[in-house]
Amino acid sequence: MVTTQTQLPTSISHDKSTHMNESIDHAQLSEWLKQVAELRCKVAFTHLFHFFAPKIQRISRSKFPNEAQSHEVVQETMSNVWRKAHLFDPDKGAATTWIYTVMRNVTFDLLRKIKSNREDNLSDDIWPVIEGEVSQDEAYEDHLENKQLLDVIETLPEAQKEVVKGFYLMEMSQEQLANHLNLPLGTIKSRLRLALAKLKGQLGENND
Amino acid sequence: MIKHHPKFELIQAYVNGDLPASLSMGISIHAEMCPACQQKIAQLTEQVAESSFEAQTIETESTSIGDTSSDTSFDFESMINNITLSAELDEVAKPVTKTITFKTKTYQLPKVLNRIKLGKTANVGKLSRTRLQLDEDEIHSSLLHINAGGGVPEHTHKGFELTVLLDGSFSDDKGEYVKGDFIMLDTSIKHNPISQDGCLCYTVANDALHFTQGINKLLNPIGNFIY
Repeated sequence: MVTTQTQLPTSISHDKSTHMNESIDHAQLSEWLKQVAELRCKVAFTHLFHFFAPKIQRISRSKFPNEAQSHEVVQETMSNVWRKAHLFDPDKGAATTWIYTVMRNVTFDLLRKIKSNREDNLSDDIWPVIEGEVSQDEAYEDHLENKQLLDVIETLPEAQKEVVKGFYLMEMSQEQLANHLNLPLGTIKSRLRLALAKLKGQLGENND
Repeated sequence: MIKHHPKFELIQAYVNGDLPASLSMGISIHAEMCPACQQKIAQLTEQVAESSFEAQTIETESTSIGDTSSDTSFDFESMINNITLSAELDEVAKPVTKTITFKTKTYQLPKVLNRIKLGKTANVGKLSRTRLQLDEDEIHSSLLHINAGGGVPEHTHKGFELTVLLDGSFSDDKGEYVKGDFIMLDTSIKHNPISQDGCLCYTVANDALHFTQGINKLLNPIGNFIY
């Protein structure tokens, strides 16, 4: 398979890219990050760089007026990815989540440095880049005791899953969800309705 | 059992990295003790990450041309080369535990505070307070210790006041608060917390307390002291 590399981040294509939508190939990103950690593989790092750097730059440009500072965020974030890749644990979450954490932390420390003139780099204490044991116990017990229900939720299409999880597990209101996902309220409502119909059907089947 | 949690908007701002260090730490401290909020934070982070690195892609298609050409100083290849020059991996700092002693009682600090510089402890009656050296202008963060039977006279807040209970318990006219509770009050609330058996709190306030009752008004000059 030949993949062409151009400057545009959208052009990172994988063998399995079926439709041209915005979905992220998590397995691939995770694999690259693992190669960076275990093999110190520069090729894998270059792939990650081309995927993330332009996005990080654009995100940080909205937080810093100054272009040099948004470059600094890219530079810092990506070198942390290179030097801390071994702290990433694919069993605990997606590569995107981990790299987001690294980027958010770099941004936080830089903003604090600009504002308070402090270089104490508190972010890794506030949001550890190495994930501690998240206690799984009883977190959702109150809301969803039924493991089966959770499993069924996982089978929903991504768009509906997001809404169901937000609404039932994270107790966000429909308005908050609309805001958070940047979707019209009507879309949230209809996704929720569709998802519930599907869940009902599924659970009915399983309970026969 | 923890009853008071940060509200959604606060968790969201925390995940986005938009809160000051003092409030971010308050939420981290609470989450250390609260699996439910830990889960919420993990979920939200996952979602925000997903949409950050995905929505950008869509945007790119319409704006990238202008963007990249205006930004000629950005040389990806040399940045990659620079970063990968050394194959060394960062060592993981070993977790340390730090304790603090008020009067005769010693407490283990939450993990988040292990590296924070603490000021000298000041005492007034049954209250002891140590400031965290965070340098956030009008926002003050402290560890506040109340000895058994002590309390803070009835007051309001000119700004907000966050209290995270690290150990022990206290109560006000709304009820009892226990270890782990995350209590965010704003200007409209008047309260008079009392601790039967003593407690240790992490507090953040962005202005002095304002004492409201009779003789306690004389305390207003020391409102600054407590929080």
